[in-house]
Amino acid sequence: MSQFSIMVIDDEKIVGSMARLSLEKEGYDVETFLDGESALKRIKEKFFHVVITDFKMKGVDGLEVLRTVKRLYPETAVIMITAFANLDVAIEALRDDVHDFFPKPVKIKELKASVERALKKFKESHES
Amino acid sequence: MAPSSSPTLLPRLFRRLRSLWRSATGGRAVELPVLFARFQAVLAAKNRALEIITDMGEKLGGDYLFDINYTQGAYALLFEAMEDAVSAFSRLTDNRYPELAEVLARIDGLIRRMLTSAGPGSNKLVLFHDDITWDLAGEVGGKNYQLAVLHNELKLRVPPAFAISTAAFDEYLQHNGLTGQLAEMGDETAGGEAALAAMRRAVLAGSLPPDFAKALAAAVRKMRSRCGRHCRLAVRSSADEEDGFFSFAGQFESILNVDCTESAVAAAYRRVVASLFQPDAVAYQRHLGYGLGRVKMAVACVAMIEAEVSGVVYTAAAANERDTMLISAAWGLGPGVVDGLTDADLYTVRKGENPQLLSVRVGRKELMVVRSEDEGTATVATPVELRSKSCLTESQVLELARRAMTIEAFYKGPQDIEWAMDGQGRCYFLQTRGLRLGEEEDAASAAAPLPPEDLPVLMRNRGSVVQHGATAGRVFILQHVDDLDRVPRGSILVARHDSPHFVRVIPFVNAIITDLGTPTSHMASICREFAIPTVVNTGDATTVLTAGQEVTLVADSGGDCTVLQGVAHELLRRQRRGAANMRQVYEYRRQKYIMRYIAPLNLVNPLEEEFTAQRCRTFNDMIRFMHEMSVQALVEGAVRQGNGLLKFFGRQRAVRRLKIDLPLKMLLVDLGGGVAKEAGAEVTFDELTSVPLRAVLQGMMHPGVWHEEGVALRGRDLMASMTRAADLGNAGATAGYNVAVVSREYVNLSLRFGYHFSMLDCYCGDQPRNNHIFFRFVGGAASITSRSLRLRLMATVLAEYDYVLKITGDLLVARLSNIGSDEVCRILNQTGRLSVYVKQLDAQLDSEESADRLAREFLRGNYTIQP
Repeated sequence: MSQFSIMVIDDEKIVGSMARLSLEKEGYDVETFLDGESALKRIKEKFFHVVITDFKMKGVDGLEVLRTVKRLYPETAVIMITAFANLDVAIEALRDDVHDFFPKPVKIKELKASVERALKKFKESHES
Repeated sequence: MAPSSSPTLLPRLFRRLRSLWRSATGGRAVELPVLFARFQAVLAAKNRALEIITDMGEKLGGDYLFDINYTQGAYALLFEAMEDAVSAFSRLTDNRYPELAEVLARIDGLIRRMLTSAGPGSNKLVLFHDDITWDLAGEVGGKNYQLAVLHNELKLRVPPAFAISTAAFDEYLQHNGLTGQLAEMGDETAGGEAALAAMRRAVLAGSLPPDFAKALAAAVRKMRSRCGRHCRLAVRSSADEEDGFFSFAGQFESILNVDCTESAVAAAYRRVVASLFQPDAVAYQRHLGYGLGRVKMAVACVAMIEAEVSGVVYTAAAANERDTMLISAAWGLGPGVVDGLTDADLYTVRKGENPQLLSVRVGRKELMVVRSEDEGTATVATPVELRSKSCLTESQVLELARRAMTIEAFYKGPQDIEWAMDGQGRCYFLQTRGLRLGEEEDAASAAAPLPPEDLPVLMRNRGSVVQHGATAGRVFILQHVDDLDRVPRGSILVARHDSPHFVRVIPFVNAIITDLGTPTSHMASICREFAIPTVVNTGDATTVLTAGQEVTLVADSGGDCTVLQGVAHELLRRQRRGAANMRQVYEYRRQKYIMRYIAPLNLVNPLEEEFTAQRCRTFNDMIRFMHEMSVQALVEGAVRQGNGLLKFFGRQRAVRRLKIDLPLKMLLVDLGGGVAKEAGAEVTFDELTSVPLRAVLQGMMHPGVWHEEGVALRGRDLMASMTRAADLGNAGATAGYNVAVVSREYVNLSLRFGYHFSMLDCYCGDQPRNNHIFFRFVGGAASITSRSLRLRLMATVLAEYDYVLKITGDLLVARLSNIGSDEVCRILNQTGRLSVYVKQLDAQLDSEESADRLAREFLRGNYTIQP
């Protein structure tokens, strides 16, 4: 129903389910994944406007997701959320052009606003 | 005894003094500063606990993405704070309430089991309802638990009943080798009809484990001895989450009219358990995120009464009609109404001290459900003379409404209640559960005038709106329930009757419209849960609308419904998107559930018999109990000390009365510097030197805040406290009364005005970083509406003074810290004004507008109360 697709990756199901419910209400298409591997597999098949990913996951972690996504689709905005916020991670993510960085628990309203900003940017760059 | 030399004189004199003082004070007294330090330790720990509870309430409230790390981490901190509070409290009270530590352990056990998804805590297989206590809710399931509450706590008439627990369910599956079978099926194949059918067959063919069979046989014998040999039972589902956030209304089988024998009950039990694996029920569970086997089935076995009339009460007609109650009734047994089998009578009642019957719609009750000769029920034609006769008289309706209001007041929220009346007119309650209404905000937006659309009107203002909302889609006319699988996503489902079978498609359709049906049916409950716009009892929707036709349905919260031909794009665009209902997320619910044992406040009035450590059911109850008893312990300690010193020196006083121009009596415990040295047993305002207490009292005495016309009444109200407070020799005499524990910079003030309790704790010294105000308010007695409006008014005012606020149910908590002493005093003054002002409001608080208006006037310094 929407032209915008959002991917949510978190190894805890509750995060994906809650994010999906709130973002679908806004009219976005949302796909959720419980690990980085399956998410990256899907990324290769489909373009997502925004990827929201947990930082700390077994196997492929958030930084690896960020780098792979940015390599494949520089236009995709990546939002990182993490329960273990530390400055080094944030700096590294910023260096890799993360769109936003939130500590958990994340206020859904702020996450939505961040998604909207990313999509606005996407629309503007395409209009120009 | 005489001192032999000066270096040993002082210590010996001190020892002598101490021993004399101890004998004067009964030997148990602890010095006041020590007592106060312990009091402060309780206060600090419980305030820490309250901070965490507030944070958890916010984070788990649906506005945040969180994970189990957060919940577990926050809970660990909370438990630590509670442990600290209980041990400090135990030191303060000389371990007078050892039960409190047991309560903490019980609640902790329940919460930890929830967080780790462990099984039931006790292994009771069968329990009579009289034996069901608050901590067994999860083990007996919602239906059993709520019936036990109606009977044990509210003393309402409920038929004798026993519960077969979830522990019995686990044993049954285990004994019959089904636990493994369930695990093998897994979540993914949950919908596989063949696998589900095999599971049902296996459940039906299973045998009861020996200890289960023995417990059941004993329960059946006991039931027969209570209700007679020919007693019949209703064997009904009571799944562990049933009647919690989601209703499961009509999802599982209920077997009525079961012979009260072990074999018959066992057979009915198997059928109810097997219904957990019916495709509709599985579909419903999946919509709510339950994997197969996650829902555990407890069962209720309830003695059947000879029901002449049965029905349902909704204690609120809609989100914006909370003052109106809806009662439906039909001849015979309950399924006539709850399964929408007949066109039931519908009564609307205005709630209040004297409920009023607003309207009666007598239905065409062509069918009724009766007991069969053998087991089960039969749907038969209603005798002609009864069809258009109202099932209830006005006095019966009003009596039912009064009891339903009692239930609603107890649960502090609207209820969906099943009841039945026997031939003697005795009304029995058969079930109660929280009633889902649309969110207030949504209701407000839906009630806003709709923009005109230039589309032909197909139907207008017919039927009853079950769930408001606006939506569009293509009409699908359902001829037979078997066609449900063919309903395309996004359809407007139009059917002759409503049916709980629709659950299979409810999450996928855009709206439901039926010719017949009641707004109190099981289907109606489920449509509300999923917020699917629904209108029932339109009479002829199946003929007015045609299959495949594209239509827009607008069902507003005022009860009006319009069906337009075509899609009203502009109208739909303007429909505000509702907030996502996070309760649909299983993992969310599991974590949110723990708040049930943390946040609610059941223990409010310290003057009631129930105000005991054993009655604490939540951490908030424990905090409330500890606060009240801590103040009491402090006052008693001070009195003992004061009396001892009085005997000894004949003049010192530790507890005094405040003599002040206010219609309230207040006791003062001075820790040092709070009262002028020259003050006697009665302290005047001028003799008060406690900076924060002076500021609060100045606010309370502010001209105009007390209303002349109310004072006489308040005087009477407060007479009791004056008399009781005078007798400080009695343990517990201070409970619930006005006590101020003060020093020069400090006040801890416990105030009781009628049914309002507030606690204010403030430190106000020279260093802003040490200063704080903590204000807690609980208001009872008035209706739910006025209580919430009162809190709304208070929140508006307090927010203006930069308090950080949190309202949970009836409780308001406000905090401020790190502010200069002048500012503290200014805010305390306003808080003092507010605490007496709100006491005088009740009738004036009739709407959100009035609450907001009074708040504005208060902030402008106008304390006039006009009706």
